Amino acid sequence: MSMLEVSGIRKSFGTLEVLKGVDLTVNKGDVVAILGPSGSGKTTLLRCVNFLERADAGTLTFDGERFDLGKIKNSDIARLRKKTAFVFQNYNLFLNKTAIQNVTEGLMTARKMPRDEAFSKAEEALRRVGMLDRRDHYPNQLSGGQQQRVAIARALATDPEIIYFDEPTSALDPELIGEVLAVMRDLAKSGMTMLVVTHELNFARNVSSRVIFMENGVALESGTPADIFDHPKEERTREFLRFISREHT
Amino acid sequence: MAGLKMTVPLTLLAFSIALVIAVAVALVQFADIPIAKQLCRFYIWIFRGTPLLVQLFVVFYGLPNVGIRLAPFPAAVLVFALNEGAYGSEIVRAALESVPIGQLEAGYCVGMSYLQTMWRVILPQAMRTAVPSLANSLISMVKDTSLASNITYMEMFQTTRTIAAGNWVVLPLYLGVGFIYLMMSTVLTWLQRWLEKKLNSYGHQRG
Repeated sequence: MSMLEVSGIRKSFGTLEVLKGVDLTVNKGDVVAILGPSGSGKTTLLRCVNFLERADAGTLTFDGERFDLGKIKNSDIARLRKKTAFVFQNYNLFLNKTAIQNVTEGLMTARKMPRDEAFSKAEEALRRVGMLDRRDHYPNQLSGGQQQRVAIARALATDPEIIYFDEPTSALDPELIGEVLAVMRDLAKSGMTMLVVTHELNFARNVSSRVIFMENGVALESGTPADIFDHPKEERTREFLRFISREHT
Repeated sequence: MAGLKMTVPLTLLAFSIALVIAVAVALVQFADIPIAKQLCRFYIWIFRGTPLLVQLFVVFYGLPNVGIRLAPFPAAVLVFALNEGAYGSEIVRAALESVPIGQLEAGYCVGMSYLQTMWRVILPQAMRTAVPSLANSLISMVKDTSLASNITYMEMFQTTRTIAAGNWVVLPLYLGVGFIYLMMSTVLTWLQRWLEKKLNSYGHQRG
């Protein structure tokens, strides 16, 4: 059974229609990569799925529970968000909290977990992303790659059913991208369900179980990495892949 | 000087109340709560738009006409708190708006509510930004409390004037009282530095 199913999602900013009825299915354990040029709506899609933007129309089914995106209640949003986690392009670590406090905040404040339990859970999450030795550092004392790894630990610690990644490596210096991708690869291997908006073709090709190519507010093509990378049906997909791989080599 | 014992409590009490008002009014505006927001704008409009001295007179001499009689001290505290609250709220509001929106989104995404995120993440960061401006206001207020003499509150300046009235040599007296104000402001400046340093513990944001 699918864990997350979105259908007919629409979103406009003023007169600009950014999402023109996108469908999306994620099964448990899937790693779905969303590719596409800038302005294709992939980030907006991800933000709508976690309600950081309110979609104008469409339905979302999570764990078999169906919601109308146009008029979903705030209490439902809050409930769904506790089952999910989000990793931002620019990390968005709480700047006034240390690495470990960033992780415990969602456990202690949002989930009322006892302090000791929250801290041991947070330590485990930080260890997993290789950041335990920086537990008492503030975000501004960490490099971009380190901040993003703490952000992943923050996501991980809440035991989400799915983690959304919004271009997690796009703000990083090239030499820091590897450490973040390594952590994500490790997560994928452990069976975490992930929905990843990315420009990293290698990640999409080698780690993801399914790839969606978005263009102009629609999901133009989707399939296994082999389908998309080796036998793209759409001319636009082919063009995009050619363009991106040229840029990245 | 006996007057100092009147000036300090007036300033401290009025400023503490003003801070609470400032944060509350700023939060209401930041959260964009209809009606309450309009009320807050109205309050700020009135108290920023009229002279402090006029406000003191209205409350102390004017309100008795409608049956509200306040002693000098509570009247002074009320006016200074409301006046300062209006200015302070704009400082706090600007500081709230300077916190990146991603901080709030991150709070939502780890499952925190709006209020939880505001209280634990946004407000602490905003207060750091607001401290220098709020300290500025506090220092202004220490000096403005001399206006309370106009409503018969025996604060420091009024006490000095009373003493001066029975003396020929007034220059040292007024210079002296000026010096005391200067010292109070200096202490507050030190306090401001200390507080800024403390709040800065998590470093400056890099670009």
